[in-house]
Amino acid sequence: MGGYSKVMKEYQACKRCCYSTKHALGLVIDDDGICSGCRIHEEKDSLDWAERWKKSEILTNDYRSNESSTYDCIIPVSGGYDSYYIVHTIKNKLGLNPLLVTYNKYWNTPLGIKNLANLRIKFNCDIVIQNVNPIAVKNIVKTTLRRLGSIYWHCIAGQTVFPVQTAVRYKIPLIIWGAHQGMEQVGMFSHEHEVEMTRRYRKDHDLMGFEADDLVSSFDTLSERDLWQYRYPEDNELNHVGVRGIYLNNYVRWDPKIQHELMIEVYGYETSKFSRTFDHYDFVDCYNYMNLHDQIKLYKHGYSKVTDHACREIRHGRMKRSQAVDLIAYYQYRPVEHARMFCDWLGVNVSSLKFVLDQHRNQDIWQKDKMGKWIDKMCGGLNDVSDKTPDEYDLRFEENSSLSKGGDASYITIGKGWP
Amino acid sequence: MLKKRLIGVVTIRNGWVVQSFGYKRFLPIGDPVCVVENLDRWGVDEIFVQVIDRHLRSGGPDLKLIARISGCGIATPIIYGGGIASVEDAADVVRAGADRICIESLLRTNPDEVRGIALKLGSQALIASFPLSIEEKHIAWFNYKTQEQTSITKYVADLLKEKIISEIILIDRVNEGSPNSFDFNLLKAFENIGVPLILFGGLSRADQLKKALQHHAVSAVALGNFLNYTEHAVQKIKKDLAVCSIRPPTYNDGGLLESDERVSSL
Repeated sequence: MGGYSKVMKEYQACKRCCYSTKHALGLVIDDDGICSGCRIHEEKDSLDWAERWKKSEILTNDYRSNESSTYDCIIPVSGGYDSYYIVHTIKNKLGLNPLLVTYNKYWNTPLGIKNLANLRIKFNCDIVIQNVNPIAVKNIVKTTLRRLGSIYWHCIAGQTVFPVQTAVRYKIPLIIWGAHQGMEQVGMFSHEHEVEMTRRYRKDHDLMGFEADDLVSSFDTLSERDLWQYRYPEDNELNHVGVRGIYLNNYVRWDPKIQHELMIEVYGYETSKFSRTFDHYDFVDCYNYMNLHDQIKLYKHGYSKVTDHACREIRHGRMKRSQAVDLIAYYQYRPVEHARMFCDWLGVNVSSLKFVLDQHRNQDIWQKDKMGKWIDKMCGGLNDVSDKTPDEYDLRFEENSSLSKGGDASYITIGKGWP
Repeated sequence: MLKKRLIGVVTIRNGWVVQSFGYKRFLPIGDPVCVVENLDRWGVDEIFVQVIDRHLRSGGPDLKLIARISGCGIATPIIYGGGIASVEDAADVVRAGADRICIESLLRTNPDEVRGIALKLGSQALIASFPLSIEEKHIAWFNYKTQEQTSITKYVADLLKEKIISEIILIDRVNEGSPNSFDFNLLKAFENIGVPLILFGGLSRADQLKKALQHHAVSAVALGNFLNYTEHAVQKIKKDLAVCSIRPPTYNDGGLLESDERVSSL
């Protein structure tokens, strides 16, 4: 435990949730030992949300068209996460006519394809799907995996740029996103700052400091031909169209669990159990987000998605910190599923992948023991772990389907509509 | 007549850019290089990088950070402040890539060293910052090392009159980070000493910014938190300040022509 003590001296942990200052988005702990994320979350119980909702109505009214032959806004969606709730809020509550846009990440689950088809049918929306050619995507994944230790760069780059490109292309200035993750997780902004989408945030946090052109290197085979689809529109193009992206969590009291359960009940959103977290609702559209990508997060930052989920539940008052610690300890080291499927898709073998991933382990957190086994020096930053398992807690996350929907697990690279 | 300037303030604590509220409460923003690079692309006139915890780390100025920033290819002049305690520190900061330096506690502790910096780098490269507030109708100067407030001594006032400092950053310490809250009463002690003023702390909206820029003693306004909330925040503010003799907003076009493949593909 000597290593643990040394590392923990360099980090500060929040007394209320389970985040520490090693959070990938940055975190500030105040003099009372409470983190910036928990402090900003307190606003959810102090702000006048009826008043904030009115602000969203006034703001979006400027973009409402009287013509039935045009779109009022763009909503980026997927077959998981908060897509249903965003579309429900924009179309049914604000009464806007949105154009849905989605980026094909290629690692789609049958469940995600079903959810996406159901979304556009139930809400009767048009959708534009961006399919970048898979050879380019594989080239990008090989480079980002090797250089950045990220398989997900292309997904996040595509998801965050395609809506903006579409806004410029179709001259639809307003993009409406769900929650700003920097706010929800680490309290980067107050709700009253009404932060909007910026290219800087995308590069800084979503893309780990690397925009598309930053990946071109004379020491790599990756070329402009592979990357141009991921380029952010130029400033003068954005200004010409007046593109702006707003976040719904500035105007709606954001609570993903409650929102998902409403979407399950009203629109038939389907969910699945995961091996590495207790939440069954997020990221059901992807085979890799809650598996390989999640393990890489643990290697690089010392925590994984279960910590995000546990912190969220603590802040919403549905989970005690001691329970969260037990769940994180149980889930974060669970084996990754579907890694072979990823290797087959990329054309690499599992041991090569493992070798590359080990290169990206954070040396402040991981060290090899005498037997060559990697040890987490910080023990996940967890103290006072009990021997309770998730079954002993009343977690109440509804599982009504599975990622493969009962079939063989395989990527649906081009998804069709669902019967 | 020289144009007045809009300065972007990048406040750094524990290596991260933070939003600061009265220099007491902080929220994380991101990587200094990303933030500076963005302000440069938006066309801000100058960037003030203030590292507010160097005195706790006793490591002098953050030369690695300055080198990282200057190495990212920006064209906007950089002011650096934080941990500068000597002529050597000041020269090292400029060698690392900053264009100008900002001092604060050195004014209190070693005015002769301030004169030495002016001699070494030239007064045009030397800026002094004063975190101030109004306490019982008097201007109070905050010492962040002792967390105490004092009045501005005659010795420091005389030093300013020597014109060895090119500009003063006058900070409304209490209102820093709060929208449209700058207290113009703070100008009273400085408006007639003949050193141009940069106002910072609570300036956010066009009405206050215009009022500030129209003041005869003010050469620039500085904004920190408020440049992080929307895309093209700098250009939008500059558009609102068009009447204030400020450099007009620019939008990067990536050097593309209308016939460029990337534009025509959209």
